[in-house]
Amino acid sequence: MLSTIAAAALPVLVVMLLLGGVAKIVTAGGDGTPGALGRLGPAVLAPERFVKPAMLICACGELGLAAGLIAVDHPAARWLPVAFFAVATYVLQDLRRRRPDVGCGCFGEVSAAPVGVRSILRAAVLTAAAVAVAVEGTTGAEVVAGISWAFAASLGGIVVLLLALSPELEESLARLRYRAPCELRPLPPERALSRLRASSAWRTHAVLLESHEPADMWRELCWRFFVFPARNGAEVVFAVYLSGRRPAVRAALVTPDGPPASLQESMPVSA
Amino acid sequence: MPYRSVERRRVLAAAALGRDAEPPRLSADDGVPFDAVTGVILDVSPHLIIVEDAAGGQRRLVIAPWATAWRGGPVAPADLPVGARVVIRALKAGTVAERIWADATRLTGTIKAVTGRRDLTIVLDMGAHRGERSITVPYRSSGRIRVRHPQLEPGYLFDAIGMVDGGAPLALLPATSQPPYRAAAVPPPPPAYRGVQSKISGTAVWGDLPERGVAYPMLETSDTGCADAGVSCVGLPYLALGSTLYVRNVCDGRADALPIVACGCVTGRFCDRCLECGTSPRGRIVELSAAAYVELGGDLIKGCFNARIGLG
Repeated sequence: MLSTIAAAALPVLVVMLLLGGVAKIVTAGGDGTPGALGRLGPAVLAPERFVKPAMLICACGELGLAAGLIAVDHPAARWLPVAFFAVATYVLQDLRRRRPDVGCGCFGEVSAAPVGVRSILRAAVLTAAAVAVAVEGTTGAEVVAGISWAFAASLGGIVVLLLALSPELEESLARLRYRAPCELRPLPPERALSRLRASSAWRTHAVLLESHEPADMWRELCWRFFVFPARNGAEVVFAVYLSGRRPAVRAALVTPDGPPASLQESMPVSA
Repeated sequence: MPYRSVERRRVLAAAALGRDAEPPRLSADDGVPFDAVTGVILDVSPHLIIVEDAAGGQRRLVIAPWATAWRGGPVAPADLPVGARVVIRALKAGTVAERIWADATRLTGTIKAVTGRRDLTIVLDMGAHRGERSITVPYRSSGRIRVRHPQLEPGYLFDAIGMVDGGAPLALLPATSQPPYRAAAVPPPPPAYRGVQSKISGTAVWGDLPERGVAYPMLETSDTGCADAGVSCVGLPYLALGSTLYVRNVCDGRADALPIVACGCVTGRFCDRCLECGTSPRGRIVELSAAAYVELGGDLIKGCFNARIGLG
C-alpha cells in the first residue's frame, strides 16, 4: 500500500517542484509590478536587495530537487525533498505569524494571497508524500513499471487533495477566464480590414471607390474607421466593430464639404 | 498613416455611425474655462502687456493689480523681458491678465544619460513627437530635484518644470515624485471586467504640445507612428488622434472638450497621483497643452490637477 502511494507521490512531487521553480523564476525575472517581490514568500523576511536572489536560489533548489528525484538513484536525493518540504511547512507557519499580509509565493505571483491554513497543510501533505517516497526509495523507473488501477487511484487522491489545498486554483481559473473588453485590447488593423472586405457593406460600396487602399484609418473604442476615396471627390467611410466573428460594418458616403450623402441611411449606433 | 484633420475625422465618424457631428456639449454645472493667451512679449509695463500670438496678431492686456508672474521664480509682471514666450491666464474675455508664466517648459521623459558634477546635464527621451532633448539641472535646483528623483540613472523617468533661458532648458522644480520602476516596466492596469467606464479619473498634467489639445496614451501604434504608444497603468480605452475628450478639472469644476493632438507615450508611463485637491486615483490619464491646462484652471508651476475625462 505504502509503495503504491509512494509511486503515485513521486510524479506529483516532481511536477510541484518543477511548477514552483519555473513560476518563481518567471516572477523574479519579470520586472513587472514594482514592489511585487516584497509581498511574496519567505524571502520578504530578508533585506530588500536579497529578495530577488533568494527567490531565484529557492527556484533553482526546487528544480535541482526535481531533477534529483527523477535521475539520481541515491537516498540523499529522496531525503532532501523531505527536508525541503518540512522546512517549507515551518517557514510558512512562521511567515503567517510574522507577516500575515504577504503571500506564500510558492508558485510565484499567482500565490499572492496571504498565507492561510490551506497553504500550510499543503506543504505538510507534500512533506508526508516526500517521506513516503524516501522510506520506500521509489525511483522513476519503478513508477513507470508499476502503473495500475491502485496507482491511478492513489495519484488521483493526492492530486485532488492538493488541488483542494491550493488557493492558487481560484486565482488561475479567474486569470484564464478573464478577457479584456474590446476597448482595451490592441487589435491589428489588418484583421479589421479583412473583415471589412468580407462584408456586404464593402460589396455594396466597392463600385464607388477609386482606390481599394484606405486613405485614412483610425480607431475609437471598439470601432475602426477606414476612409476610401470615391468618385467626384467624395469619400466612403466604413466603421468596423472590433468584436465578434461577424462584426457589424457601417458605411456612409460623405461629400467633400462635409454632410453625408443620402445613398445609405446610417443606423444610429452609440460608440 | 498621418491623420488629416480633427474636424474631418469627426464628421466622417459621425456619418458612419449616425451620431451627432457636433462636439459634446458641456453641462450647466461645468465651470467656464478661463481664457488663455499665448505668445511672445512685444512690450510690457506695470499696467499693460502686449503679446504677439502665433497667428501674428497683437493682443493687448491690462495687467490686474493682483496679477503675479513667474519666470524661474516669482517676478513682478513689469520685470518680464521683451521677447519672452508667455502663457497668460486672462479674465474678462481675454483682456485682463491675472497670472503670467514666462518661458515655462515641461521636461518629462526617460533619462538616457546623466553627466556633470555640479550642474547636471541630462539627456531625456521625451517621446516620439518631442524626441531627445538635453537639459541642465543647475546646482541651485539639483537638491530639490534629487530629493524627488532619487534614481537619476538611465532608464528611469524624469519630470520637472523648468524655464527656457536663451534656448537652453533648465530644470528648476520637480513636478512629481519619480516612479520607483524603470520606464520599460510600467505596472499593468487593473483588470476591467465589465467594459470601460464612461468617466475615468486620474491625473492631468501639462506639456509642450505643438497645438492646443491633449496628448493621450492609449493610441494604436499602427495609426500614429508612435512605437511607444499604448502603454498606461490605468485601464484607458483606445482612441485616435482627432478623437474628442471631455476633460474636467475636479478641483475647481472647469471643463472643456479637447481634441487629441499627440501621442502621450511618456504620459502613460507615470503611475503617480496628484495631490492638488485631495488624492487623485493612480495614473496619468491625459497631458494637456499649456494653454488648455491654464484654461481649465491649472497652475503651470504645480504641474498637475485631479481630472476626470469622458469619452467623446
